[in-house]
Amino acid sequence: MTKVLVIDDEAQIRRFLRAGFELHGFTVLEAENATAGLKAATFNKPDLIILDLNLPDLEGSEVLERIRSWSNVPVIILSIHADEQEKVRLLKLGADDYVVKPFGIAELLARSEAALRRQLRSTNREPVVRAGPLSIDVVSRLVTLDGKRVVLTRKEYTLLHALATHAGLVVTHQQLIKEIWHGNAGNTQYLRILVRKLRQKVEIDPTHPLLIVSESGVGYRLDRGEAGAAHSRRGMSSNPTYCA
Amino acid sequence: MQNCELSAFGKAKVVSTFQERLGLRDLTAKLPNSDTNERRARHTRWLNFGAANAIPIVATLALVWLATISLVVLNSFAPLELVPLIYMLPVVLAATQWGLVPGLIAAVAGTAAADFFFYPPLYSFWLDNPQDVIDLLLYLLVATVASNLAARLKTKADTLSRRENEIRELHAFSQGLATCLTDRDLIFAVQDYLSNTLRYRAVLIATAQDDDPHDNTVVPDEIRRQAVKLIAAGAPRASTIVEPHSRGAWLVRVIAPEILGYGAIAVELGDSPGGGTAAIAQRVETLLEAATVTLKHLKVKEAVEQATINYRSEVLRDALVGGVSHELRSPLASILGSCSVLNQMPAIRSDRQSQALINAIHDQAGQLDSEICDLLNATRISAKGVRPQLMWTDPTDIVNAALKQKERRLASHWVELDLARDVPLVHVDSVLVEQALGQLLENAAKYSPTGSEIKVSSRCEGDHLVLSVKDQGSGLTTDEKGKLGKRCFRGERRTVGDSGSGLGLWIASTFIAANGGTLHVKSPGPNLGTTISLRLPTVPQDTLELASPADD
Repeated sequence: MTKVLVIDDEAQIRRFLRAGFELHGFTVLEAENATAGLKAATFNKPDLIILDLNLPDLEGSEVLERIRSWSNVPVIILSIHADEQEKVRLLKLGADDYVVKPFGIAELLARSEAALRRQLRSTNREPVVRAGPLSIDVVSRLVTLDGKRVVLTRKEYTLLHALATHAGLVVTHQQLIKEIWHGNAGNTQYLRILVRKLRQKVEIDPTHPLLIVSESGVGYRLDRGEAGAAHSRRGMSSNPTYCA
Repeated sequence: MQNCELSAFGKAKVVSTFQERLGLRDLTAKLPNSDTNERRARHTRWLNFGAANAIPIVATLALVWLATISLVVLNSFAPLELVPLIYMLPVVLAATQWGLVPGLIAAVAGTAAADFFFYPPLYSFWLDNPQDVIDLLLYLLVATVASNLAARLKTKADTLSRRENEIRELHAFSQGLATCLTDRDLIFAVQDYLSNTLRYRAVLIATAQDDDPHDNTVVPDEIRRQAVKLIAAGAPRASTIVEPHSRGAWLVRVIAPEILGYGAIAVELGDSPGGGTAAIAQRVETLLEAATVTLKHLKVKEAVEQATINYRSEVLRDALVGGVSHELRSPLASILGSCSVLNQMPAIRSDRQSQALINAIHDQAGQLDSEICDLLNATRISAKGVRPQLMWTDPTDIVNAALKQKERRLASHWVELDLARDVPLVHVDSVLVEQALGQLLENAAKYSPTGSEIKVSSRCEGDHLVLSVKDQGSGLTTDEKGKLGKRCFRGERRTVGDSGSGLGLWIASTFIAANGGTLHVKSPGPNLGTTISLRLPTVPQDTLELASPADD
């Protein structure tokens, strides 16, 4: 059974997270502060850590850094503030993804599963990543859409590959630019144009992309391609309102 | 704060050395005429003068020496007529660098050296040829006039640069006043300003001795006591007080009207007030008078009141922003999260009634959270303005993100999308624009009947990108159109029954304005629907095409 460690000082949040995760077959460990959290992360070897940024005894980012100094366990950050620069910083520090409060359990579960899958893929070296009708074979570099081969340029493929290795998780603009242009001459303008071109090849409706989803001010995410807004409107996903 | 004050003072000291010297010379003439005093003062003055001018005089003589050496080198092939010309150089240099006296010294030294080394008989101060006598006298005359002119030029330049410094300091001071949050900051700003202008450390003394909250330990108790006595007596002129233990002299002057309960300024004159004290006192007095006028002009009193208001509102705002976001939004996050879990529980899933109730809780809590966010955004906009993080963005991403953000609000409407495929990229803060568009969608959903159509479109109009939201709702009267976008405006027909702070459109228009765009409202009339459009500037398409070779 997958073990998830929840580090959050608020009992109510821990309670609903426990209920939500247990409902989906996870075992839940709880920690109400950073010290207890770091101890549990060391001794109980969780498969996944949900880390709140606002802890009473230590900065959440500090906890993340300490965990990352010895472990590769997937970490998903919870935060009440939706500051994009802070998100980028946390992702750079090694967070797998972040979820802004208030959030629905479905959203957190989706992120958690994506993070766990990425971990699994990197250990098992699975060659094929699937996102909806799209499948990317990273060994033969073959991309198919509904079974039909899609021809991509080298940069388009590098972009898709970078997103596919983190399927379901956000990849920052900087990370993508670095992978595609190796640090020279790349910028967000080029990236946006490249994404537009890629979308024209893999999305059914490029003006309403379901696979390559933008995360404002942060980066892109390769989604499962099933979150059609028109179809799942009564889903309990709660989308946070932006607070500057 | 104390450190800050000290460092500013230290800087003043460094800047002052040369200007003090100038000021000292000007003021010596104004000393009182008592006989013994006069003699002692003259003696001290000459000592001071000698000490202050030692380096320039030595340097001047070195310049003359240098001219002599170069003439000796040139002597084999240069004519004698060149001699006075070369000796003119040290005169002009010395006068422009150090003033009249070094200039004159250079002139005399130059004449002597020319006579001794170059005019026959050599190595003697005698002259054989009467023509040479005339030459040398002519040189001395021209050199005197030149050094006089150069010195005057130098004095003018010095005065100008001093004035410029004063104006700069005054400007910095008035800016400093504007940013003061507490009266403590204000007192320190005034002290810094006075210290900088006077070039001596100046400290404000509280009228009531016991309750000086700023604990100015730099002022000795004795000085403080004397100052309070002077304030009580309302002494009109400055007086010098010597601290008995350290022998440090302080000049104390009563200021009226007092600033924030501070009735006097104490200026630290230093440890050894010799004969120059009177001159310094005179200068301090003059500058202090000017400073008092300046303080009056700068409306220190109003600044104090403003500072208090600033401080209170800042505290309140921080409490609101910090406290509200955590104390109010955290419980809401628990409620919303719990609803999402409940909704997935098998027992609830099979019970339509419970599910409807949970959905209602979720929607209402979500609504409350977004209202709190509006309030927080409005508070932050008012406090700090909006600082957009500009980045190249695909407008399609903005529209889709806004739609996703308002997914639940739009669930009971039919959303029609009309997005142009090849709209150019825009250089904006995508989060702010997305938020603004979200507000438009929210309003469209709020003010149009369930099941009606909301049309979202994006297109290019000239060098602008236009994102618009068209609803089939209650529309707007001309009067309402004018008021729309003002802070906290809500249409009268709408205030009944609908929730909302009325901040939404104001926030949207502020966010769009921060991105260099504008908000436009169109409505044929009441109950005929509304179209609200965002217009954002774009970069010509061909510039973007240039970027495409980036892909191979």
